[in-house]
Amino acid sequence: MIAMVDCNSFYASCEQVFRPDLWGKPVVVLSNNDGCIIAANKEAKQLTHIPMFEAVFKIKHILIENKVTFFSSNYTLYGEMSQRVMNILSTFSPCVEVYSIDEAFLDLHGLSHIDMRAYGVDMKERIYKYTGLPVGVGIAPTKVLAKLANRMAKKIPTYQHVYVMDTEAKRIEALQWADIGDIWGIGRKHVKRLQAIGVFKAIDFVKLPLAWVRKEMTVVGERLWKELRGESCLEFMVVPNPKKAIGTAKSFGQKLPDLGRIEEACAYYITEVAEVLRTQKSCATYIHVALYTNYHSTIDKQYSNRTTVTLSIPTNDTFALITQARKALQSIYKSGYRYKKVAVNLTGLIPENHVQGNLFEKRSKILDTNLMQTLDVLNRKFGKTTVSSAMIGTRVSEWELIKRERSPRYTTQWRELLEIGSEGV
Amino acid sequence: MEIEVSGKVKVAKDRHQAEVSKQTGFPSAATHYMEAPIDLNEELSIHKDATFFVRVKGNAWKDFTILDKDVLIIDRSLTPGFKDLALVVQDGSFKVLRVPFDKDQETCVLWGVITYIIHDAR
Repeated sequence: MIAMVDCNSFYASCEQVFRPDLWGKPVVVLSNNDGCIIAANKEAKQLTHIPMFEAVFKIKHILIENKVTFFSSNYTLYGEMSQRVMNILSTFSPCVEVYSIDEAFLDLHGLSHIDMRAYGVDMKERIYKYTGLPVGVGIAPTKVLAKLANRMAKKIPTYQHVYVMDTEAKRIEALQWADIGDIWGIGRKHVKRLQAIGVFKAIDFVKLPLAWVRKEMTVVGERLWKELRGESCLEFMVVPNPKKAIGTAKSFGQKLPDLGRIEEACAYYITEVAEVLRTQKSCATYIHVALYTNYHSTIDKQYSNRTTVTLSIPTNDTFALITQARKALQSIYKSGYRYKKVAVNLTGLIPENHVQGNLFEKRSKILDTNLMQTLDVLNRKFGKTTVSSAMIGTRVSEWELIKRERSPRYTTQWRELLEIGSEGV
Repeated sequence: MEIEVSGKVKVAKDRHQAEVSKQTGFPSAATHYMEAPIDLNEELSIHKDATFFVRVKGNAWKDFTILDKDVLIIDRSLTPGFKDLALVVQDGSFKVLRVPFDKDQETCVLWGVITYIIHDAR
């Protein structure tokens, strides 16, 4: 059997653990730059008259009127809380696939002698006890069915967030219950096409001939079809696949007209992505840099451009990457515009130890791996960009994202610990 | 001639292993007595997936020897026993209570068990 465990409205729940005054009240979490709502708890979702997908500045007054508490995203906190959940899950199975920040698959093969429902309840209760985070658990013979069981655990109140699909009858019942759009991996386009031919429920889908599914929905659809019929064909990926591209594209806190500060932001983003590059032990061959004005603005002149640099020798050296990215940026920058965003993206990623030298260049750069390692160790220990390229400058606060409502980093910063008991003298 | 780094200059990486002098002369007298240094995480049995640190403001709980600016180590994995100090939530705010709770405190929700109180002596 396979378990699918996910946290209920994870970001909002993380915030609420430390804010008992908000228990049972609507809470939402905003995207980077506080642009829009990216997470809402159950109570907030019930306020259906609030257009949650609108830009925050348009609906802020409605949120305040309805006493919805909003937080800027605090990924440091969410990441650390997620780590706790995953660690606890690994005490239930040696094989845990972390699927996303708040979801994981557990391989429960070989545990056939135990009561699966009790095991699932134990997972839910232990995670709640240790971390304060509520989770749902679905247990079934395949990943796609486990995902469906998880959905049932959440949607059907009598299951109390744990559902085990352990018999053929229960599988059929689940397929009759689930709409085709509820199935993990069936996108909106396919839903429309399937509905057009009278497939509305998951049970209708598994009755389609395999040949049709294979032809119309490729091997991906075929796997889903088989998984829904109880035949496991999605493997566990305990070690995540290395990324094929690493990039970041965050808006500035304000519009920037001058090249200087944009260069600093660009260097900062390169520093961030280069760090990720080194953690997965890869080197990049191409750097893509793009620059944008704010296309929502009606008063600004509009301009955007992008360019790509090919490195003669792939590298993960922050300084080398910054130098190249800066040249790229200078080549597309035009004065007279107010820029909103610079994006950097590293592609052509190859394993660190497969880097090919260049006949016409010295390979002395390789020595800098020591420098990079030292940099990474220092920054991990003392905080992001404690030691970094001077290109980042000291004006970070002038272009950095706005995170006005960010909660303290309760679990990673000694100076931001949860404070209690302020009323006493 | 090859010059090698003397064995004694190298820092012993694994401190559990007895240091053995590679030079001639007497081996370290501590050879058979090496132990790992004290690790507070271990001594205070900090269960890192269930432990949170919380800072106290004010002297509302001085009866429990919890003072202003103290940091509490809270272990959520524990079930509070007799006379334990517990961090609880009552009417949406945090409180420190001694187990067993009084009748009027029974509505509160347990947040975690206080295992240690860190007091800055300077």
